[in-house]
Amino acid sequence: MNRILTIVGARPQFIKAAAVNRKLQEQGVNEVIVHTGQHFDANMSEVFFEEMEIPKPTYNLDIHGLIHGAMTGRMLEGIETVLLKEKPEAVMVFGDTNSTLAGALAAKKLHIPVIHVEAGLRSFNMAMPEEINRILTDRLSDVLFCPTDTAVQNLQNEGFDKFPSKIIKSGDVMQDAALFYAQKATEKSIIIEQLGLENFVLATIHRQENTDDLEKLNSIIDGLNQIHCETQVVVPMHPRTKSILAQQGIKPAFTIIDPVGYFDMIRLLQQCQLVVTDSGGVQKEAFFFGKHCITLREETEWTELIDNGFNLLAGTNQAILFSAFQEMKVKQSDFSLNLYGNGTAAEQIAIVIGKA
Amino acid sequence: MPVHTKTDSNSPLLEGQGEVKKIILVVGARPNFMKIAPLMHELKRHPQFEAVLVHTGQHYDMQMSGRFFEELGIPAPNINLEVGSASHAQQTARIMMGFEKVCLDEKPDFVLVVGDVNSTAACTLVAAKLNIKTIHYEAGLRSNDRTMPEEINRLVTDSISDYFFTTSVDADENLLKENVSPDKIFMVGNLMIDTLEANLAKAVGSPQLFSILNKTGNIDIQTLQPTGYGVMTFHRPSNVDEKPSLERLVNIWGAISEKIPLVFPIHPRTYKNIQQFGLIDTINAFPNLYLIEPLGYLEFIHLVSKAKFALTDSGGIQEETTHLNIPCLTVRPNTERPVTVWEGSNKLIKIEDIETEAQAIVEGKGKTGTNPKYWDGKAAERIVTILEML
Repeated sequence: MNRILTIVGARPQFIKAAAVNRKLQEQGVNEVIVHTGQHFDANMSEVFFEEMEIPKPTYNLDIHGLIHGAMTGRMLEGIETVLLKEKPEAVMVFGDTNSTLAGALAAKKLHIPVIHVEAGLRSFNMAMPEEINRILTDRLSDVLFCPTDTAVQNLQNEGFDKFPSKIIKSGDVMQDAALFYAQKATEKSIIIEQLGLENFVLATIHRQENTDDLEKLNSIIDGLNQIHCETQVVVPMHPRTKSILAQQGIKPAFTIIDPVGYFDMIRLLQQCQLVVTDSGGVQKEAFFFGKHCITLREETEWTELIDNGFNLLAGTNQAILFSAFQEMKVKQSDFSLNLYGNGTAAEQIAIVIGKA
Repeated sequence: MPVHTKTDSNSPLLEGQGEVKKIILVVGARPNFMKIAPLMHELKRHPQFEAVLVHTGQHYDMQMSGRFFEELGIPAPNINLEVGSASHAQQTARIMMGFEKVCLDEKPDFVLVVGDVNSTAACTLVAAKLNIKTIHYEAGLRSNDRTMPEEINRLVTDSISDYFFTTSVDADENLLKENVSPDKIFMVGNLMIDTLEANLAKAVGSPQLFSILNKTGNIDIQTLQPTGYGVMTFHRPSNVDEKPSLERLVNIWGAISEKIPLVFPIHPRTYKNIQQFGLIDTINAFPNLYLIEPLGYLEFIHLVSKAKFALTDSGGIQEETTHLNIPCLTVRPNTERPVTVWEGSNKLIKIEDIETEAQAIVEGKGKTGTNPKYWDGKAAERIVTILEML
C-alpha cells in the first residue's frame, strides 16, 4: 500500500500513531492523519506535537464534549466525508475509543479495508464503553495487529480463525514509544526535581466506573490516604475527577498535581517506587519502566502482567488496596521478560502495510 | 423492616404482576414491520410489559410506511426519529444521536431490535453503551459476504447484544462459533411466518387488479391463474443500479416471460433506472412481462401465495416461499438464510442459470421442501415467554 489514512482522537493514540508513522515513512507509505478532536486540552497544543515529534494531523474534525452515541455519530459523519475525499487504500485505527470505532465503522461501510492496532484486547466487562468499542472494531477489521499472545488467543476464542480477516502478533507499539521517549524524558523533564520527590507511589484515577461511583471513589481515596501515611502518594489528576472531588467536598491527604505531559509521566514512572492505576496503558508503562503495579479494577486486558506477578488486581476496596501495597512494595521481579515485542511492533506493522 | 410489596390499593399494578418491564422495540425499514407486528400484538396481551415502539424513519416513505402499519395493525410509533435517507454513515449517525436521547428519556429495561438494517446496528450500539440490555431478533444470520452492508450490521449487532433470538438452528451454530454463550441464545422461530399466517386468509380475499407501469392499463392477476405466473423482486444495487447488469436481467426476464408470465412489483427507484437506461422498449417487446406498482403487504403475499415460483435477489421472500412450499430462485452467490435451501424450496442460482431453472419449474420440476422448525406462527408467543424470564 502507498497511501493510508489514520484516525486518532485521544492523546495515547497520537503517541502510538507517531511510533508507527516513523516506520511507515521508512517503508515509503504515505499517511493522512485525521484527528477527531475527542481529546482537546492544553496538553494537545502545538508544543505537544513538536516535543513528541508527532506529525500534525491533516484534518481536525473538532468533535468533543458529547455523550457516547452523539459523539460517535458526529465522528461517523465527519470521517465519512474525509474518506470520500481522500480515498485511501486502507484506514488504520488504534485502541478502543469512540474515535477508533467511528473510524472502523465509517471505513467498513465504504468498503475500505480496516487495520486495527492493539486488536484482541478484552476486559470481559461489557459495562465498559471501551470493551464495546474493542469488540466492534475487531469485528469490523480486516487486519488485526495484536500486542500479545493473549490478544491473539482472545480473537481465536471468538471464532476469528474462520473470518476473512488477518491476525498478526506485532507486539505493542506503546513499548516502542516508551523506549523512544525514555531518553528524551531524562533531558526534557524536571518534574522530579520540581516537586522534590524522592520515595513515592505514583497513582492515576480516571476511569468512569471509578470516578462516577462515589462509593468506589471514596474507597480508593481512603486507600491512597492510608498508603500516603507510609509512602508519599502522588496523583496527577484529571480535571473531571478533580471537579467530582470538589463537588463532593472530598479533600484527599495525598499529593495532587495537575495532569502531566508524556515526558513528565515517564520520569514519574522511572522514579517511583510502584504504581497504582485504573488506566490500561499505565499498567503496561509501569512494566516497561520496571515497576510493580496495583490495578484499581476487577479485571484487566493485560492478563500477562497478572500471570507473571508484575501486576495485582486490587479492585476498589480500601483494605485490599492497602494489603496489595504491602505485598507489592517488597516484591522482587525480573522485568526483562519479553511480553510486548521489545520495541519492534511499529516496524513489523509498517512492513506488513508496505507490502500489502 | 418489612419488604415493600406492590399490593397497596394505590398501585396501578395488578396484584401479583410484579414489576412492569419497559421494552423499546425498534423499527426502521419495511422488512422490520412484518417482524415487529406479531410481537406488538403479543406484548399487548401481557400487561407486565410496557412496549414503546420507536420508528427511526430510515425508510422515509411515510405513505408506504403508514400503509404497512395499517395493514398489519401496528399501532402508530410512540416516537419517530425521522432520520430520512442519507449515506450509511450519516444515517447511522443520526439514528445514534436520536436514539440516545430516547433511551435517556425512556430508561427502558430492554431494547429489542430486529433484522439487519442500519437502525438495528445503531440502536444496539447506543443501548449497549448506556448499559441497557439489548435483544437481537433474527440474530446469527450470516451470508459471509462482508461487502453487503447488511452483513456488517449483523456482525456489529451480534457482537454486542445481550440476548439472541434466532429463527433457525444454523443461526445458533453461527453464534456458538463466535463464542456467544449458549444460555443467551433462544431459537424462537420466524416472526415473518407469524405475520404471514395471521394475514394470508384475509389477503387471499383481496382484489388483484394492479396498474401496469410500462403501459397504460391494468392487469388482473386472476386472469393469469390458468397458466400460472412467476413473481419477482429485485433490488440489490449490483443488479439494478448499473446498465449492463440490468439490461442482461431484463432480457432474461423477457425470455422467461415467453414461457410463463412474470409479475414484477417494482420499486420506483428501479423503474427510474429502467427508464434512464433506455430499457423500456425492450420491456415492452415482451407482452407477458408485467412491471406493476409497488404493493402493500396483503396484496404482495396474496400474489406470492398464488404464484408458481418466485425469482428474487432479496431476503424475506426466500422465507415466505419456503413456508408456502413454492419454488424460489435466489440470484445470489450466498444466503444468510441457508435453512431455506437445506430444508425449504429455495435454490441459489447464477444469473446465467436463471432461464434453465425457470424452464425446469415450468415443466413441473421445481424444487419442493419442508417447513423449518418453529416456522409455525407462534414465534411471538415464544419470545414473550422468554422475555418474562429475562
